[in-house]
Amino acid sequence: MMRKVEEWKEGRCRLFHFEIGKIQDWKPVKDLLNWARAWSLWSVHLCTGCCSPELMAVACSRFDAERFGTLPFPTLRECDLLFILGVVSEKMAKRVKITYEQMPEPKYVIALGDCAISGGLWWDSHNVVQGVDKIIPVDVYVPGCPPRPEAWIQGIRLLQKKIMEGR
Amino acid sequence: MIKVEEEVVETLKQTFTEYVVEAKVQREKRVTVVVKRERLVEIARFLRDNLQFDHIASVSGVDYPEKNEFMVVYHVWSIPKKVLVALKTSVPRDNPHLSSLISVWEGVNYFERETWEMFGIIFDGHPNLSRFLLPEDWDRGFPFRKDFKLRTKPE
Amino acid sequence: MSIMRVRWGPQHPVSGQWAFWLDVDGDIVVNMEPDIGYTHRGIEKVAENRTYIQNVPVVERTSVFDAGNIVFGYVQAVEELMGIEIPERAKYIRTIVGEMSRIVSHLYGLGLLAIAVGFETMLMWFINDRELFLDLFEMLTGARITYSFFIPGGVLHDLPQGFYDEAMRRLDYFERRLKDYWKMFFLNRTFITRTRGVGVLKREDAIRLGVVGPNLRASGVEADVRKDEPYAAYDQIDFIIPTEKEGDAYARGGVRFHELEQSVSIIRQALKKIPDGKIRVKVPITPTPPKGEAYSRVETARGEIGYYIISDGSNRPYRVKISAPSFRNLLAMPFLSRNVPMADIPTIYLSLDLIPLDVDR
Ligand code: SF4
Repeated sequence: MMRKVEEWKEGRCRLFHFEIGKIQDWKPVKDLLNWARAWSLWSVHLCTGCCSPELMAVACSRFDAERFGTLPFPTLRECDLLFILGVVSEKMAKRVKITYEQMPEPKYVIALGDCAISGGLWWDSHNVVQGVDKIIPVDVYVPGCPPRPEAWIQGIRLLQKKIMEGR
Repeated sequence: MIKVEEEVVETLKQTFTEYVVEAKVQREKRVTVVVKRERLVEIARFLRDNLQFDHIASVSGVDYPEKNEFMVVYHVWSIPKKVLVALKTSVPRDNPHLSSLISVWEGVNYFERETWEMFGIIFDGHPNLSRFLLPEDWDRGFPFRKDFKLRTKPE
Repeated sequence: MSIMRVRWGPQHPVSGQWAFWLDVDGDIVVNMEPDIGYTHRGIEKVAENRTYIQNVPVVERTSVFDAGNIVFGYVQAVEELMGIEIPERAKYIRTIVGEMSRIVSHLYGLGLLAIAVGFETMLMWFINDRELFLDLFEMLTGARITYSFFIPGGVLHDLPQGFYDEAMRRLDYFERRLKDYWKMFFLNRTFITRTRGVGVLKREDAIRLGVVGPNLRASGVEADVRKDEPYAAYDQIDFIIPTEKEGDAYARGGVRFHELEQSVSIIRQALKKIPDGKIRVKVPITPTPPKGEAYSRVETARGEIGYYIISDGSNRPYRVKISAPSFRNLLAMPFLSRNVPMADIPTIYLSLDLIPLDVDR
């Protein structure tokens, strides 16, 4: 029994003639997995800056990002998308890092707002990290101060495209 | 219209003659009082008890490096009188100690804590002067002082 | 039982951008300490580095939920320093934008309060009706929430064509919705039992702690800058200040709800009364106010904001102190969360309508 569990974990378990780990590399299965991933991006509920009011607008019924499978969710162990909502201060930077490390693989990051991209309005501030990509890797950047809900949704769509292309 | 304001100024001048450096009506509903810091607590208590200034509005520090002093400004609003008084006092820059007004207006608690953090003015008698807005491991000095320079070019 | 220290946030669905330290004894919170500063951007310091006009978007970021009223205070302080009197029409436009901004902010706050008591539907309603006014903002200023519409000397644009009809149409609809809200939300047994008697702030405590805005008025103090020290066009408009006596979470929600009704009526009157004329006076692109200082007060959605600006005669302010409403209300949070069950903490926090952004600045 234990051996079986170990095998599952390492992806060596056999299903019919294939090793599970190998199946994932098989193109149709890989595409299927990526498709499933792309349409169920659950996002962590972590607000960092003043772009956060638009999160409500995006999550609620007018713009409704849930159409694309994106749902803010409290438990970050079940999430695979991290929205950086604007400015990241030095105090917050540590928490962002901890949050990112706790999320299970595969995980994606969307940086929203000029501040998260490059420091934006706070280019000279004493307490702002100049761009969130100094701390964690970022997949999609969405400019704006704050980005309009349409831009958020475009960002989500871009990320989906990226995932489905297997990058 | 500005009778109430003048009354406040007159009362303060008469009660604390040599401790009030300057008292004037700035405009309608605004009174500025500059006091010496030795009797700050008593003047504040007098403002609260006798002149009904009960609602603290803000505490700000201002740095004047060329005069070698900090100015601390307490803005207090009076709900019954509808007048705002700016109670100013100065502390030397090399020994910035001031007695806390927390026994008079409890609302100054976080304001004084913030002023301590940003300017390094020590409020004697304050129960909890500890890190508040800046990161826990901040060691780059007091950011709101004039000699703390921000970067001049984007990184 | 031993006392345990629990950390709450910043990654928590209702915590927003900050954290609390809670000392809990079983399920009862004995002590609470806010851990703030997660969005500290140093606005006051950055403002010393920019010219007066460049500062308008900077101070607006204090709290983008209520962008209209936040900038209002700043431009008034600069105008006082420079000794400018703005045209009548600009005053009315400012009043309209300020009140719309208040509605937007209250809807957001009430929506969050709805989450705290478990009303997902109400959140959807409130946030959806918020879009009515965000569209009006877009029509008027070109941006949804950060519009930097006020500048020293007046406002940026005149009311566009068709704004009056569109605004009236939306206000009519919104007023019908308000009646629904009252029935569905404020007369709802569940909502009442979950908020009545939670976080009672007495009148004396509210004044002693320096609480402002709807929280102060819910404790029975009739203090509102719009009446005490009328600015813009508020002295020519009829409105009342809603107050409640109880000082609990329900009263705070109720005050904000009644303020929504008042705001609708203020916008109506202002749109009807608005005079013709210029919308701004000429101000140089880098204004240099004379030496001096000004303290301006404005009633924002969360309470009174104070701007203390000192000018040294150059084109940059010497000191800008923002006395933000949530920072002043923050002191009530540890006071109210002593000896309450842990489950009441979200209700207390969201009924005070604290926004970490303007706590940290
Ligand atoms: S991009 Fe603009 S709205 Fe977003 S966090 Fe930065 S300053 Fe705030």
